[in-house]
Amino acid sequence: MAATRDSIEATIEHLAHLLPSQGPITVFVHHNTLHALENLPFSEAVFVGADLYDCHPFLPEDAYRREFERGRITADDLERELHASFDQEGDTLIACLGTRHDLWMSMLAHPLREGRPAEVRWFIEETEALYRFRAEAAVSDRGHCIADARRWLVRDFVNGDAANHPMSAAIQSAIEGIGSGKFETWTAEDWEAFTLHLLWATCRHGAELSELPAEGADGRRRDPSAAAADELVDSVLIRFCSAFLDQGYANWDLPQRVAGLFESFRTSFLYARPVERWLHPLPGLVAEEASPTGSIRRSLAALGVPAAEQEAFLQAELLKLRGWAGMIWQMETNAEWTARPAPRGSLVEYVAVRLLLLRLAREATESERAPALQPMARDDSPRTNLAFQAFQIAQIRGWSPVELLRLTPVEWRLLMSEIAAFPSRRRRQFYHEAYERHYREAALKALRRSCLASERAGMQKPPAYQTVFCIDDREESFRRHLEEVDPEGETLGSAGFFGVAMYYRGLGESQFRPLCPVNVKPQHDVIEAPAYSAAASNRRRATARKAMGQTAYRVTQGSRSFLGGMLTAVAGAVAAAPLVFCVLFPRMAARLRHRVGQIVTIKQTEICIEAGEAGSGLRGYTIPQMADIVNGLLVSSGLGGRLSDLVVIFGHGSSSLNNPHAAAYDCGACGGGRGGPNARAFAQMANDARVRAELAQRGVQIPPTCSFVGAYHNTCNDSVEYYDLDNLPAVKRPLLERLMASVEVARRRDAHERCRRFESADLSLTADAALKHVEGRSEDLSQVRSECGHATNAMCLVGRRNWSRGLYLDRRAFLTSYDPRLDDENHSVLARILGAVIPVCGGINLEYYFSRVDNKGYGCGTKLPHNVTSLLGVMDGAGSDLRTGLPWQMVEIHEPIRLLFVIETMPQAMLKIMDDSPAIHQLVTGNWVQVATIEPATGQIQVFRNGRFEPFDGAPADLPVVADSTSWWRGQRDHLGFALVETDRRPRVVAGAVR
Amino acid sequence: MTSDQLASWLASISIAAPALLATVFCVSSLVSTRLSERTTARLTELCVVTGLVTAFGVLVIMLWTGSRHVVVELGNWAAVHDAIEHDDYHFHFKFVFDRLSVPFVLLTYVLVGTVGAFGSRYLHRERGFHRFFAQYGLFLLGMVMAALAGTVETLFFGWELVGLSSALLVGYFHDRPAPVRNAQRVWSVYRFADAAFLVAAVAMHQCAGGGDFSAMMGEGAWPYGHASIEPGAALAIGLLLLTAAAGKSGLLPFSEWVPRAMEGPTPSSAIFYGALSVHLGAYLLLRVSPLLESSHLLQVAVVTLGLASAVYGAVVARAQTDIKTAIAFASVTQVGLITAEIGLGLRYLALVHLVGHACLRTLQLLRAPSLLDDRRTIEDALGGRLVNQVDATELSPFRRWLYRFSLNRGSLDAWIDRLVVNPFISLFATARDAEERWLDCLRRDTPPKPAAPVPTTPVAEAEVA
Repeated sequence: MAATRDSIEATIEHLAHLLPSQGPITVFVHHNTLHALENLPFSEAVFVGADLYDCHPFLPEDAYRREFERGRITADDLERELHASFDQEGDTLIACLGTRHDLWMSMLAHPLREGRPAEVRWFIEETEALYRFRAEAAVSDRGHCIADARRWLVRDFVNGDAANHPMSAAIQSAIEGIGSGKFETWTAEDWEAFTLHLLWATCRHGAELSELPAEGADGRRRDPSAAAADELVDSVLIRFCSAFLDQGYANWDLPQRVAGLFESFRTSFLYARPVERWLHPLPGLVAEEASPTGSIRRSLAALGVPAAEQEAFLQAELLKLRGWAGMIWQMETNAEWTARPAPRGSLVEYVAVRLLLLRLAREATESERAPALQPMARDDSPRTNLAFQAFQIAQIRGWSPVELLRLTPVEWRLLMSEIAAFPSRRRRQFYHEAYERHYREAALKALRRSCLASERAGMQKPPAYQTVFCIDDREESFRRHLEEVDPEGETLGSAGFFGVAMYYRGLGESQFRPLCPVNVKPQHDVIEAPAYSAAASNRRRATARKAMGQTAYRVTQGSRSFLGGMLTAVAGAVAAAPLVFCVLFPRMAARLRHRVGQIVTIKQTEICIEAGEAGSGLRGYTIPQMADIVNGLLVSSGLGGRLSDLVVIFGHGSSSLNNPHAAAYDCGACGGGRGGPNARAFAQMANDARVRAELAQRGVQIPPTCSFVGAYHNTCNDSVEYYDLDNLPAVKRPLLERLMASVEVARRRDAHERCRRFESADLSLTADAALKHVEGRSEDLSQVRSECGHATNAMCLVGRRNWSRGLYLDRRAFLTSYDPRLDDENHSVLARILGAVIPVCGGINLEYYFSRVDNKGYGCGTKLPHNVTSLLGVMDGAGSDLRTGLPWQMVEIHEPIRLLFVIETMPQAMLKIMDDSPAIHQLVTGNWVQVATIEPATGQIQVFRNGRFEPFDGAPADLPVVADSTSWWRGQRDHLGFALVETDRRPRVVAGAVR
Repeated sequence: MTSDQLASWLASISIAAPALLATVFCVSSLVSTRLSERTTARLTELCVVTGLVTAFGVLVIMLWTGSRHVVVELGNWAAVHDAIEHDDYHFHFKFVFDRLSVPFVLLTYVLVGTVGAFGSRYLHRERGFHRFFAQYGLFLLGMVMAALAGTVETLFFGWELVGLSSALLVGYFHDRPAPVRNAQRVWSVYRFADAAFLVAAVAMHQCAGGGDFSAMMGEGAWPYGHASIEPGAALAIGLLLLTAAAGKSGLLPFSEWVPRAMEGPTPSSAIFYGALSVHLGAYLLLRVSPLLESSHLLQVAVVTLGLASAVYGAVVARAQTDIKTAIAFASVTQVGLITAEIGLGLRYLALVHLVGHACLRTLQLLRAPSLLDDRRTIEDALGGRLVNQVDATELSPFRRWLYRFSLNRGSLDAWIDRLVVNPFISLFATARDAEERWLDCLRRDTPPKPAAPVPTTPVAEAEVA
């Protein structure tokens, strides 16, 4: 008995890994949507996931075909994908009609319509399908087919074949239906119609001869009476779950919430007298049930689920409201930092409640609605569809009906099975592979060219200053512009928490939040405090802040109560002012808000990072720990040993209004936080003389002339903020000013480049206007696309910047700095970098992938009806499943392809790193990411395919050369190809020259 | 041009502007021409600003000249005469600018205009952008007509347009089942209210010989009219109108439709259910407030219903965990209070309350997605987490019942299903069975045919929901 109970608990907790693993939305962490299936290769997992979650594995066929038409996928790509997958079998002859390769290629190259028998019949009867050839059919083929058919009709059919032909009735009726019914009088069009009628009859005949029932089109199918029962269950359960998980939004708490989900459900219904008829037995039922597992067992028995099917049944039930179930699981396992985590075992209790309700709902729906919902008998034979496909392929390939008439039954069976073996899902897979191949080859060829260019450029002077950015793809353009504006500066990329994993509390904030990757548990606390001289004024302002906060809280709460609401509503006409102002003049309203904000906050602050500095209870850093962090970044980014006089560290984040998904735009390396404080803390550590002394003892020299500055880049409004400039030695100021002037230009150009993606920004904007535009976006209540986030990410480069510098990457690449010359022979630096970069960037990419290919299933649909619930997530409207994944507005322009890593190392080193790290191994060998290694000196590239590295043989691309990236993107909205930006050839313009 | 003429010109423009907008949007959808998003936004802006400015102009003239009554007559659109050349029935379009309608129409223009500007960015690149604006145009036209209506027919016309466009916008995301189901539910409540309204209108014609409000309420401009109907008829008509208002404004027992209406895009939720649509019932009661005064019983009924809804809304809002539902019930509370104020005869207070409440809710709903951010800001300012301190473990049975009542929203829809919808369906099912049997009886000689599947009626669908 105990064994069964445990096994049910264990089963449910095991099944929990299939639930979405998105936690509370305020800390948005990108992860692979199909994380649960990562042990399978990608190509299998997408199909398993598609069946499991009732979602699409790839984009719809139409989408790929549109890409084919505009040349994003070429026929050559498709051919090569087919070759790669066939080996020898591609040459198999299919019934003398061509090879399998030709057959499949013709199914890929032209749109094949398919549908249920009724749709096919409608199409055949209501369109010109039987009167005109498809547009793709070659003119010569048409002539040949018609001539063939004509000869056959006049010579063979009429003279004797008619009597014993198996399709003679169909053909006779076709003849009678065309023109005047006498073929002697037929015009050319009539003959065309006859040929097609004959072809259709032949294909239908052939489909009848075929044996196998082809698989139906994928679609979301559900048994109507089960769906009705689920609807009843969901209506109760959604309300109850949101009350149980509520983080303090509702004024009243769920009674017995602390006692757990099952107990609070019991108490809620024990003395209730539900109005709904189907719930009538519930109070009696819950009175009998004491323990959740016992209840599950009884429910399983009552529902008649045999022991062997229990797991499958539980899985299906668990996945029905998977947003809520997943959130319960997250809240019980992974959310100790929230205001109200759920007790352990809540998911099992949830299942118990669900099954209890399901029992009642099933009884109710089965007894009440059984007769009304008899599905009408339909001819669902897949043969019609098969015949229709053959009919279309025959036109494309130019098979004449007479040729087909001669096929033996064996040949027909072979042909039809070949067609059926290449259903839409398989075709989409090929399209998808070709889609990825096209980008991969273009990218690798471009990188080879870029390597050559960097070789030609040869040794460079030491840089005037260095800037370190996050590896984020959104910083690619910013770095490129900075390099273009001031070619003497150098940019580097490193994960945006810069090794400073901390709990951080800013001035005027009430809670600490972790600023580090999610898999790291910070051991240190850092707070921002007013500068010593500003402490007194800060106290006054804090009081004012508190008063304002209290007023705001009372007004919000009061407006929902009875009398308070009356008072606020009577004075509510005042609300019209901020309403109209915020909507119609967002930038002005924002400026006003900042003014008011300035009254109650102060500018002069400092951060307390050192242990013991900020006072009791805070775990700061010791000097050796700081030295570790500084050294870590110097080594991993390749800065070590070649520091210039000024190093600026840029953290990044994003600010937007009215956006529950705001955290998804922030820095992924900071766990969906803003990385400014990390940069600031890092600079403070690296400037500390004691840290430098400690490092010197370890043999790491930081020249005394070198100064670090922390900064923060807002990727939404492209503003840049610098920290603690007062501490910078005066001699560095000219250098800093030079950098700041370059940044001023760069951020305008960055805004300009981003604006080309926003349809609501004119293509003719100047850089200044573009900056204004993005500033407006970040302050606009009605803006659902404040920025594009990681959309379009496609590549991740790991290595020195010199071989990718000057290559236009269209904001699609994560750029990680790594200098193999500073690495040891075990490649431990690279292993550490990849250990973070592959799962993080791969996770971002895969989340975008899945949210894009099925936005309703894997993503959370459009933002427009979203409704924040329980302070944890969003629903559609007032009562739906909790929606996880990314909204449509974030992924709209994304090209769903797997991330291509290009790593500056040797294949052997990469293989060794994979062997040492199971996580990397699984992602790489399972093809969840694409990996290539590059050797910049020779331009040699090796691509990981089929379990091994294979040399990439594409020639270096012949890339267009432009003077600056502005002239490459100007006037274009779509994804752009690669180009070389050769700034070095131009006279150097530092500041003031904004185009 | 005299100031009267000027006022009536401006008034006409103020009505024509939304009519033009609705026509352009609907006709362009009808002939499948897509206006660009920019054109749509500009056109909306133009029409709303024109309407607003002209309506404001009328107000200025009215203040200047001290006139309290500006009328735009569109004449009789249909008239039925009896034998003695006497008007028996006429369908009369007439718009009135007075102290009640001017503030309401200005409110409509300001809020609808703001939401239009919001929506043109919020719905950018959305597939249903044009559909949204076509319905938006209809809604604006309906609101303006209902606000300015001088006859009961005109008011009904506007009322219907508002109802239709609101229900369609609830079902805006018609590719998912839930919005469609909820839209249908909202629509059936609206139809019920419409039916009550229509019966009331017919009764008014019977009693007062016409649909003019002035005929019923006396010639005095609002709010000084006096109903010229005897109390008995006033009570009957008043109760019908109260039913209509309750349906439209989400008063008891129809309140549960208000959160259901949150299925649409945020701006439509804001404008229709938070701000304007939900106040239309209260506005109707305000418009006929002289009628209410002629029967004390009626006044009591209005006050009771209003207060009960207000208490209901306030209680139910306490347990709601999502922001849009919480705001929806907060709206029910205030609309209930406004209704009670009307019943008490505090007309100006009710009007001020209505305007203030509409503005506040629109702002709150448009900002609803900011909830997490706002909460954090407040927590930061207060210096700690905002978690209720109430220990909900040991609760009295009454408090437990209250919580359950609140979480289940009083099971209003379930009661309606149980008391109205299900008996209705079983009645018709019985009738159907009887008919089948009768038909069987008739065709006893002919060979039996398979029975056609019974189409599921909308009501049966609603029953499941």
